[in-house]
Amino acid sequence: MGMLPDEIKPAMEGVIPSHVVTCSRDGTPNVTTISQVYYVDPDHVALSYQFFNKTVKNIRENPHALASVISPETLEGWDLEIEYERSETSGPVFDAMDMRIEAIASITGMKGIFKLKAADIYRVKSVRKNVDERMPLAEMDG
Amino acid sequence: MAREDESQDLRRQIADNERLIGKLNQELAKRSDDVRIIQQISSEITSTLDLDRILEIVLRAMEKTLGFQHSMILLASPSADRLTLVASRGYDQAGLGAEIEFGQGVIGVVASRKKLMRLGNVGASLSYLMAVRAKMEEAGQLVPGAMPPTLPGLPNVHSQLGIPLLVKDRLIGVLGVESAKPNAFDELDEVLLNIVANQAATAIDNARTYRMVEQLSRLKRFFSPQLAELIVAGGTDDPLRTHRREVTVVFLDLRGFTAFAETADPEEVMGVLRQYHAEMGKLILEHEGTLERFTGDGMMIFFNDPMPIPDPAERAIRMAVAMRERVKPLGAGWRKRGYDLDFGVGIAKGYATIGAIGFEGRWDYGAIGTVTNLAARLCGEARGGQILVSLRVAAEVEDLIEGEEVGPLPLKGFAKPVPACNVLGLRGTREG
Repeated sequence: MGMLPDEIKPAMEGVIPSHVVTCSRDGTPNVTTISQVYYVDPDHVALSYQFFNKTVKNIRENPHALASVISPETLEGWDLEIEYERSETSGPVFDAMDMRIEAIASITGMKGIFKLKAADIYRVKSVRKNVDERMPLAEMDG
Repeated sequence: MAREDESQDLRRQIADNERLIGKLNQELAKRSDDVRIIQQISSEITSTLDLDRILEIVLRAMEKTLGFQHSMILLASPSADRLTLVASRGYDQAGLGAEIEFGQGVIGVVASRKKLMRLGNVGASLSYLMAVRAKMEEAGQLVPGAMPPTLPGLPNVHSQLGIPLLVKDRLIGVLGVESAKPNAFDELDEVLLNIVANQAATAIDNARTYRMVEQLSRLKRFFSPQLAELIVAGGTDDPLRTHRREVTVVFLDLRGFTAFAETADPEEVMGVLRQYHAEMGKLILEHEGTLERFTGDGMMIFFNDPMPIPDPAERAIRMAVAMRERVKPLGAGWRKRGYDLDFGVGIAKGYATIGAIGFEGRWDYGAIGTVTNLAARLCGEARGGQILVSLRVAAEVEDLIEGEEVGPLPLKGFAKPVPACNVLGLRGTREG
């Protein structure tokens, strides 16, 4: 398998904010800007769950979402169709995300306040690189 | 026309493939280079036990061979709750001695979790979190906590990579690299640094152990073995760090020693000294005094540093009296062999500046102050068998001793003559 190509990794370091689109069960869409979509493996990404918000609420009603990430090196964007699978409160993915949040929180006096509640794991269903439509599309999904 | 299109496509594909092969070959060559460089670094750092040299080699390699412009090494405290910066490269201010608590920033979290961490978005994260903080404060949701002190490192840092230095599962310290560019480090950098970190951890641990053993044997020259171990383990304040303390100083020497040393055989002189030092040394340890220096027959001992003790004046007196007793039979023996050697002591109490005296490569523990001069001069004035103490000391131990007034004595370096007291003996055990 392997939906995510290596070249997308710089876009998943949280350098340029990403966007996540979700939709409630009754069809109301919501867009939010988040600091980072985390790379888990070629078929999974993770979003950090810190505060309860519309995104978290929607995703638990309707697991389908779209994440849009931008590479700080090339300024190219990718759209990822993702589907919520589960929340993790322990394990290597949670630990890695938790460490990063702890480090930043500690130097902004937000230790204990800005905390990772869970790592929400999503499966990547498709990846599309956003390129100028006039040029042939480089398709990455199967 | 179609065939031309086809061959054009084919040519383009071949060109693409050739570019790809070229790129792969470059990467392969770079990786072999990296491996070779890592091997060289490893052999360099494992061939020395000098801690400073090891730190220098590692950080130089960070810059010259791996291309990391800003790097630092911090070592964990024995209490395992904070790190101290011991080496850095690529910074305006070296920042040596700066401390980071476990759990503070990337370095602190790497230490507490004992796991590698790579952040490429430090700047963005900080902005985001400061905005969140401001919003929360506005909404009254957050009691504004104090911002923690700035950690050592680049002020405008955007990328950080921290690796724990581990020996088995024990945290020795953290190796960190930074950059002012976002996303400056990648997974390959993690792999390379991991290999260097493993080697560095072992080398640093060995060097530190070696240095502790060296320090221990050096300290044992001045202090009892137990105290030396306590100092090395970090159980008391570093005695070599300059500090002021009120100490009781005892100076003693042998009258007639210079003349004796000039006329007697060197072997005889050494023999006398050996006997004398052995006996005096035992008593110093027994009374928990600190032998600051000895020069031939002269010795300087003080009480209340590096470990504070109760009743330093009383201990000093008891030790001096015991020493005088011990020297008596020695003196009789020496007189039989024709050497006229007699024992004299000076004791004073006051503040001294104490710490490391000397120069790079030869630091010794020493004390400086009026009190040491006074004790030395009193010793100089003491006739054979006398223990001359300052009035201050005499007053403190007046219930303990039988004494007689002496002087006032004109002492070099003192504007007015100094009254003193000769300790004849301890009350109840009056010596003849």
